[in-house]
Amino acid sequence: MLLDEREARAITSKLLGYVKADDAAVSVSGEEYAHLRFAANAITTSGRREDATASVTVWIEGKRGSATTNTLDDAGLRAAVEQAETLARVSPVDREYVPTLGPQKYKPTIQYAEATRRITPAARARTVGEIIAMCERAGVVGAGFHQASVRAGGSATKNGNFYFDRETGVSLSVTARTKDGTGSGYFQRGHFDAAQFDPLRIARESIAKATGSRSPRQLDPGVYTVILEAQAVGDLFSLGFDARSAEEGRSSFSAPGGKTRLGERVFDERVRIYSDPWHPQLPASAAAQGGIPAEKLFLVREGKLENLVYSRFWAKQRNREPTPGPVNLILESAGAVQTLEEMISTTERGLLVSHFWYIRPVDPRTALFTGLTRDGVWLVEGGKVQYPVNNFRFNQSVIQMLAPGNLLGIGRPERIGPGNSASLIPPLKVKEFNFTSKSEAV
Amino acid sequence: MSSTRREFLQTAGAAFAGSLALPRWAYAGTPAPPAADVDRDALAGAALTAARRAGASYADIRINRYRFESISTRERQVQSVSRTESFGFGVRVLWRGTWGFAASRVTTPAEVRRVTAEAVAIARANAAHQRKRVTLAPVERAVAKWRSQFERDPFDVPLDDKIQFLMRLNEAALAVKGVSFVNSSLAFVNEQKFFASTEGSRIEQYLIRSYPSFSVTAVDRDSGDFQARTSLMGPQGRGYEFVTGRPWVEEAERAGQEAVMKLRAKPVAPGEYDLVLDPTHLFLTIHESVGHSTELDRALGWEADYAGTSFLTPDKTGKFRFGSKIVNFVADRTQPGGLATTAYDDDGVPAQQWHLIKDGVFVDWQTTRDLAPLVGRKTSYGCSHADSWESVPFPRMPNVSLEPAREDNKFEDVVADVRDGILIAGRGSYSIDQQRYNFQFGGQTFYEIRNGKVGAMLRDVAYQSRTPDFWQACDMLGGQSTYDLSGTFNDGKGQPSQSNAVSHGCPVARFRRVNVLNTAARGR
Repeated sequence: MLLDEREARAITSKLLGYVKADDAAVSVSGEEYAHLRFAANAITTSGRREDATASVTVWIEGKRGSATTNTLDDAGLRAAVEQAETLARVSPVDREYVPTLGPQKYKPTIQYAEATRRITPAARARTVGEIIAMCERAGVVGAGFHQASVRAGGSATKNGNFYFDRETGVSLSVTARTKDGTGSGYFQRGHFDAAQFDPLRIARESIAKATGSRSPRQLDPGVYTVILEAQAVGDLFSLGFDARSAEEGRSSFSAPGGKTRLGERVFDERVRIYSDPWHPQLPASAAAQGGIPAEKLFLVREGKLENLVYSRFWAKQRNREPTPGPVNLILESAGAVQTLEEMISTTERGLLVSHFWYIRPVDPRTALFTGLTRDGVWLVEGGKVQYPVNNFRFNQSVIQMLAPGNLLGIGRPERIGPGNSASLIPPLKVKEFNFTSKSEAV
Repeated sequence: MSSTRREFLQTAGAAFAGSLALPRWAYAGTPAPPAADVDRDALAGAALTAARRAGASYADIRINRYRFESISTRERQVQSVSRTESFGFGVRVLWRGTWGFAASRVTTPAEVRRVTAEAVAIARANAAHQRKRVTLAPVERAVAKWRSQFERDPFDVPLDDKIQFLMRLNEAALAVKGVSFVNSSLAFVNEQKFFASTEGSRIEQYLIRSYPSFSVTAVDRDSGDFQARTSLMGPQGRGYEFVTGRPWVEEAERAGQEAVMKLRAKPVAPGEYDLVLDPTHLFLTIHESVGHSTELDRALGWEADYAGTSFLTPDKTGKFRFGSKIVNFVADRTQPGGLATTAYDDDGVPAQQWHLIKDGVFVDWQTTRDLAPLVGRKTSYGCSHADSWESVPFPRMPNVSLEPAREDNKFEDVVADVRDGILIAGRGSYSIDQQRYNFQFGGQTFYEIRNGKVGAMLRDVAYQSRTPDFWQACDMLGGQSTYDLSGTFNDGKGQPSQSNAVSHGCPVARFRRVNVLNTAARGR
C-alpha cells in the first residue's frame, strides 16, 4: 500500500483527531518490497510483500506512551491512540520530554524514481538470468541478491507540523567464486533510480575479481600499507558522533577531565565528513531528528571535529540548538583526489583490499574494530599489482586509520550500500594497517 | 557490512517521529483484538485452492501474529516502552520446481487470492530462467496445536512490575562506588503461528521468549578511561518466571563491582594460555564456529553472497575430525527453554534431535525439505524458519549444544590442572571468517588462573583461533552440574536479512594453549 501525500495527511489527521493527550507525534508509512536471490548459478528464493504501519506517541502530564499497528481502518487507528494514552497514564514521567514541533518549512529532496517502482518480476528475472549466463560463460559459480523497494509516509504533531516523503531504492550484489574454490569476487551497488543503475557492470566486476584472486599465495600477517577500495572503506567506516556519550566520558570523542575532542584536529587535514540531504547522488530525508528541517552538516571539516550531534533533549540540557542532522553520510577529500591506479602506482609495497567482513567493535575508547578481508586481496609491489594473497584478520582503530600522518590518499567517493541506505565513500590509501592473523577462508 | 550507515544515523539520532508501539492487547490480561480473529481455515482454503488451480505442485500459507514488548531504562528513568503488533499472511508456492512468495497485511479472502496469484506469477517469471528444479523431501501430514514451555505469559504481567524490576537492577548497580551509568531492558516476544499446506497439514503454535539484560559503565573522567560490564545470562524460551526466578539483581551489583574493577585491572600480556570458558561465554563460540559451519545451505553455496560458505563440505560427512574425542554437539529443536525450540518448523516438519559432531567427528547437517535431498537424505531435520509472516522461510539454526562430560566434573576440577590460564565469562566482541575457520572472541570478565587457582582480574583480552584447532584443543569438560543454556535473540542471516533466536547449552570447558592478544595495544 503506497500512500500519496493526501492519504498520508488524512490518516495522520485522523490519528491526531482521536488524541486527547496534551501532546502527540503520529506517523503512517507504507512499503512495497520485492527481491530475488540466486546461488550456485540457480534461482533460490524470490518474493514480494506489502505492509503499512501507523504509530502514535502521546504525552499526558509529561508521561509518555506509544503504540504501533498495521491495522489502518478507523477502529485500528482509534485503538492505537487509546492504547498509547492508556500506557502514558501508567508510565513514570518522561524526563527527556521535549514538546513536539510546530509547523516547519522543508526544502524538498528527490529520492523517488518511477523507473524503480516499475521493475516487474519478469524484468528482474531476465536481469538475473543474464547474470547467471555471464557466470556460466566465465566458468564461475555465481550467487547474488536483487532487491527493490518503494516507501512513502507522513509524520505529524499535535502542535501543527506535517512532513511527507517517499523514496525508492534498488540494489544488486553478486559474489562469483571460481569452481576450484580458490578465488572469490564481490561487487555491490545500488541507487534510488533504476535508470541510473547498471546491474551487468556489477556482475562483470565480481567475475573479474573472482578470476583475478584465484590461487592466492601465502603472506604473513603484520602491519602493511593498504589501498582500500571504496567498498572496503564503506564496510569498515563506523564512528559515533553522539554528543551526550562524548560528554558523559564514554565515546571515542571523549577527552580526559570530562571534556570532548570537539575542535581538535583528530583526522588528516584532507578528511571531510558531512551530511547533505540535497546531494544529487545521495538524496536523503529533508527532516532530521524530531522533524527538525535538515541542513547540510559538517561533522569533520579539514580533519577537525567540528560538530557532535545534540539530540533535542540533550541540546535543551546544554542550552543550545539541537543538531539538524545527519541524514546521510559523505566522506570525501578536502584536497586532491587520487585514482585507485595512482594509489597503486605510488606504492612500493602494500596490499589492495576489496571487501571486509564480520566487523565488530573491540574497544570503544579507540574505535578499534576487528574483522576480516574477503573476496580478493592482492600484493602491490613496485607500483604494480603482483598477485593475489590469502585473507587476513585485522584489529584496527578507525580513528588511527584516518589520523594525520597515516592517511596517504583519498579517492573519489562512490555510492556504497543498498539502494536507499547508501553512503558516499571514497577509496583510501593508508600507511599502516594492522593485520593480526591469516585466514584460509576464500 | 552494510549496516554502517544505519548505525551511523542511529548513533546520531536522526529518526523523525517515534515508532513505539502499543496496540489493544497491551492491556494486561485482556484478550487479543478482533483483528486477529480471522477465519484462518477459510483463508488457507482460498490460498491453497488458488495455488493448485494455478498449477503449483506445492503451496503453504502462514497466517501469523507477532507481539513484541520492550522496556528500556537508564539510571533512575524509563526511556521507552515499546509494544508492537504485526499480523498478516505469506503464501509460498512451488511452480515447476521454482519458488514464489508473496505476503500482505490485509487478511481477506480476496486479498489472499490476489497474493497467491502474485506468488505464482513470481515463480513463473523466475522459472523461465531457472537452472535447477527444487525437490522437496517428503513429510507426514500433521494436524496439531502446541504451546511452548512457560509458566507465566509475560504479556499478562503488569507494566509496573516490569519497571520496578528494572529499577531494582539499576539501583543495585548504582549503589556500587565508582559506577557512572547503567542501562537495562526487558524484551519479550510472542509468536502465534498458523501453518497450512497443500499436503493437508494444519498446525497452530504459540511461543514465548524472554530477555532481561543490562550494561553497567564506570568512567574515570580524569584519565578519560571507561569500562562496561554487561549481563552474563542470556535470553531463553521461557515466560516471566525467567525474570523472577534468576538472580538478576545480585548479578547487577556484581556487574557494577566488576566494571569498576576493570578500570584498574591488569592488562593481559599477549601469548598462549590455557582457556577455561564459562557457558555464558562459550555459547557464542559454539554458535559461530559449530552452529553456522554445519548449515547445509552454506556448504552448498546458497549463502555465498552474504553470510558465506563453510569449511565443511558434503564429502567430509562422517570423516572430518572436528574436535577432540570428548566433543559431542547435538542439534535439538526440542530442548526445554531453547529459543529455537518448537513443535514444527515452517515446512511443517516435526522438531527433532540429532548429532552434528559425534566423538569429535563431523557426522551430519542442519537441513530443510529442499536441502535434504541434495545430500541423499530421505527426510528433513526441520530447520526451516521465517521471522515474520512477510518473510520467506529458509534454513535457520536449531539449538546446537555441547554435551557435558559423563563424569560429574566440577568447575574446580576443570581449573585444577591449569598452570597459566585465563577464565572468561560473558559475551564480548565476536568475529569469524566467511567459511568459519578464523575467529576472534572477547568477553565480559577475564580472570587469570595460576597453578589451579583463579586469581586477579585481567583486561583487554581477546583470543584468536581456527575452528578445528580450537575444538581439538578441548581436553576437559565440566559435568551436568556446570551446564547452562544461553543464546541470542537476533541471529542475522539471509537476503533480505532475517533474525532468528537460538540457544546453545554447554558445560564449563577447558582449551589448551590458545593465542591471546591485548586489544588495547592494537588501538594505539
